[in-house]
Amino acid sequence: MKNVIAYIEHKHGTIRRSSLEAATQARAIADQLGGKAHAVVAGDGAQQAAETLKKYPLDQIHVMEEERFIDGAVDAVEAVAKSSGPSLVLVGNTMIGRDVGSRFAARVDCGINADVVDFKTEGGEVSCVMPKLGGLVITTCKLTGSDYGVAAIRPNVFAAKETPGAGEIVQIPSSGKASTVTVEDEVEEAAAELGVEEASVVVSGGRGMGGPEPFTTILKDLADAFGGAVGASRAAVDAGWVSHGHQVGQTGKTISPQLYIAVGISGAIQHKVGMRTSETIVAINKDAGAPIAEFADLLVAGDAFAIVPELTKLVRDAKAVHA
Amino acid sequence: MKILVTVKLVPDTNADKRIDPATKRLVRTGVETVLNPFDEYAIEAALQLKEKLNDGSTVTIVSMTPASGKEIVRKALAMGADDAVMLSDDAVAGSDLWGTAVALAATIKAQSPDLVVTGTQSTDAISGDLPGMLAEKLGIPGLTYARKLEVDGGRVRVQRETETGYMTVSAPLPAVVSVTKSANEPRYPSLKGIMGAKKKEIKQLAAADIGLTVAVGTDGAKAQLTDLATPPARAKGHVIQAPDAAEGAKAIVQFLKDRKFL
Ligand SMILES: Cc1cc2nc3c(=O)[nH]c(=O)nc-3n(C[C@H](O)[C@H](O)[C@H](O)COP(=O)(O)OP(=O)(O)OC[C@H]3O[C@@H](n4cnc5c(N)ncnc54)[C@H](O)[C@@H]3O)c2cc1C
Repeated sequence: MKNVIAYIEHKHGTIRRSSLEAATQARAIADQLGGKAHAVVAGDGAQQAAETLKKYPLDQIHVMEEERFIDGAVDAVEAVAKSSGPSLVLVGNTMIGRDVGSRFAARVDCGINADVVDFKTEGGEVSCVMPKLGGLVITTCKLTGSDYGVAAIRPNVFAAKETPGAGEIVQIPSSGKASTVTVEDEVEEAAAELGVEEASVVVSGGRGMGGPEPFTTILKDLADAFGGAVGASRAAVDAGWVSHGHQVGQTGKTISPQLYIAVGISGAIQHKVGMRTSETIVAINKDAGAPIAEFADLLVAGDAFAIVPELTKLVRDAKAVHA
Repeated sequence: MKILVTVKLVPDTNADKRIDPATKRLVRTGVETVLNPFDEYAIEAALQLKEKLNDGSTVTIVSMTPASGKEIVRKALAMGADDAVMLSDDAVAGSDLWGTAVALAATIKAQSPDLVVTGTQSTDAISGDLPGMLAEKLGIPGLTYARKLEVDGGRVRVQRETETGYMTVSAPLPAVVSVTKSANEPRYPSLKGIMGAKKKEIKQLAAADIGLTVAVGTDGAKAQLTDLATPPARAKGHVIQAPDAAEGAKAIVQFLKDRKFL
């Protein structure tokens, strides 16, 4: 492996933050390998996304305007991999990113590592570092036995930094292939908001919130004060208080925000495995002896309904001083 | 229609897992193996589809697992699946994602299914990559993250979850569909189901039976484990009793300032 290809996920030209992280990281690894950093962007709005990508440290930005959902994106990545030579392909560990990365890996018979939080390069080979079993162990896996390799990077771990590179835009000709998957419609149920996977601050609520309302009021207010996202325990999701996309944990999302604030969450093992690699963990819980006390950096014992609004006010004040 | 459901065995999710410092392996004694919770949604989706079609469709469980996994496969049968196929062979032990996809796809192909249903991920590996890899290896469409699926006129149509809602996507059969936990509420095996499952066939296959021509398993892995470390334990943090809301909030803000969040 020599070159690094970042697959860029976007919506009508607006790029997901995890893809900008992939683009920035592609440069860092390519420099260590002595290769080039490429980006691949496909589908409706690809040209517009490519313009944004010029601000990132890439050698070439490959554009395929053809819209064939996942198929088109995989074809585009494959075309660039074949033309640029032995490469590491970076995707975001997101629903779309995983689909594109996994299909590419199966197609070209290469290794794939999911949920990567660090890289090591040695002798042209790339190793990926991944927490497993909810951060209980840290594994290192070397990508070998193929010209290519795929790494799905955990959002919010690598920095996205604007430093323009050569940024040459290269068009990938349309494949002319028919799509096997037909997209019939797309329905927005919620306003586009920062997902828990990508937010650097996550304010999560659990059964202690007692109902749906706090998720759109007091927890949302605190999350907004930080520019973060609202998460939830499974108990809150199963009760129907908040949608599944917010769930953190074993059957929800695995996240590593800089700051995780758990409100009215006891800290069951299945919740813990989804968030224990957060940099800093703060819990607000009525019960000073809740299991979360074992792994939170700070647990404040008290009533969340009284503490959170007060906290939101203080956070806003502190931020205003800096602004 | 022949519906296949892939299932995996995982360490019990309720157990707090430990790593043996000497061998650097997961301590398995005392940790029970269970059916991957995500796969229960796949089984339920397949059973509901079969019941709805009511046309003699069958549900077959497919698992790549050591022979000792038979009891777990039986749980899937107890839920209502018709039969099962297990790929049990030392040659596939220790496979990476790629090897798993290759071996599982070959097992599936030998069954000539009309539809393959999978969970979105397993609770131990948590990659979410297998459904897409299977589709690619089988050369058929892959529809992932389905919270609803229906089959009609030789096509499968699903509601694919997105971060902000869903999209409706469809494809001709055969296809691979991964279902999310929003898709359904998995049923518990009934006593009748548990009794009946004992009589259902579990076909055991070896690598040679599925015509595996490439090396998978530990040796064939293209993502090779080179190191396994235990991260330093999280230092136990402070617990502060907040006599009132203002005190509690102040304590948190001070902590956040100390850590440069504010
Ligand atoms: C296979 C499997 C998978 C699972 N996957 C997940 C998963 O992905 N994510 C997940 O979270 N769970 C998961 N669970 C569920 C998990 O075991 C727990 O049941 C769940 O996390 C508990 O949620 P909770 O902490 O919100 O609720 P509880 O355990 O009921 O805790 C509520 C907490 O709120 C506190 N509280 C109550 N009122 C207040 C108040 N006014 N102010 C402050 N604190 C208050 C209480 O002291 C208590 O600690 C899974 C379980 C299984 C079996």
